[in-house]
Amino acid sequence: MGRGSLATRVLGGAAGLLLAMGLYLGLVVAPPDAVQGDVQRIMYVHVPSIVTAYIAFFVVFCTSILYLWKRDLRFDALAVSSAEIGVVFTGITLATGMIWGKPTWGVWWTWDARLTLTAILFTIYAGYLMLRAFAEEPLAGARYGAVLAILGFLDIPLNHLAVYWWRTLHQPSSILRPGGPSVAPAMLLPLAVTFAGLALLSTYFLVERIRLERLRHRTAEVRLKRGRRG
Amino acid sequence: MGNWGFIGLAYGLAFVALVGYLIFLKRRLRGAGEELAALEQEGGRRTR
Repeated sequence: MGRGSLATRVLGGAAGLLLAMGLYLGLVVAPPDAVQGDVQRIMYVHVPSIVTAYIAFFVVFCTSILYLWKRDLRFDALAVSSAEIGVVFTGITLATGMIWGKPTWGVWWTWDARLTLTAILFTIYAGYLMLRAFAEEPLAGARYGAVLAILGFLDIPLNHLAVYWWRTLHQPSSILRPGGPSVAPAMLLPLAVTFAGLALLSTYFLVERIRLERLRHRTAEVRLKRGRRG
Repeated sequence: MGNWGFIGLAYGLAFVALVGYLIFLKRRLRGAGEELAALEQEGGRRTR
């Protein structure tokens, strides 16, 4: 099987290094927030996690369209691999958001538009993974999964705009907003470094997850050939 | 729980999720690799 290429291991090492730097910058160097105090430091893991998840789901969206168009299983392998990573990072976002919500809002959870749409996003892509895992006919599973992944992606722009359309407890975007980021540069640096670390880590996960998909395809091919030979 | 308790919980949970996923991924890779190697070995023996 091998342990992955040298490039993959370098990618993993670089991700670890950047994440350690982000941790130091976020927990030690960055100043506490004027209103929330130290608990605002949860932002340095919460925000980069959801941005990473959005990118992963964007990859699923694009590769699902490409799979339906070209019927090339390499696109499907990329879609299912990226969906798994997106679900992991959405799970981290939901968990860290709940932990941040308790000391700032007084509740672990509220059915606010932003929170609800993030929970729906998690459920859609967790459902996608279940559909893929339990489909009796893998090609049909890939086809239905691609349709679900494309429709499910609509949740992301809706989620981004939810804080502007409805009165929500969740604050509006501080980075991806008209007029540029409203976050102080001393807080922007740990955010950027942690995001770079998570982006590299998710790329590392993606490369390894695609390798797993290739091994599974190869195993299925060998089994099929053997079945034909009787 | 104080502010740093919540911070520790959030960072700790994120760490456990990422390391847990990495271990889960590596285990599946090892399992899939072993399964394929066994199948190919068995196929090779049959051909001979």
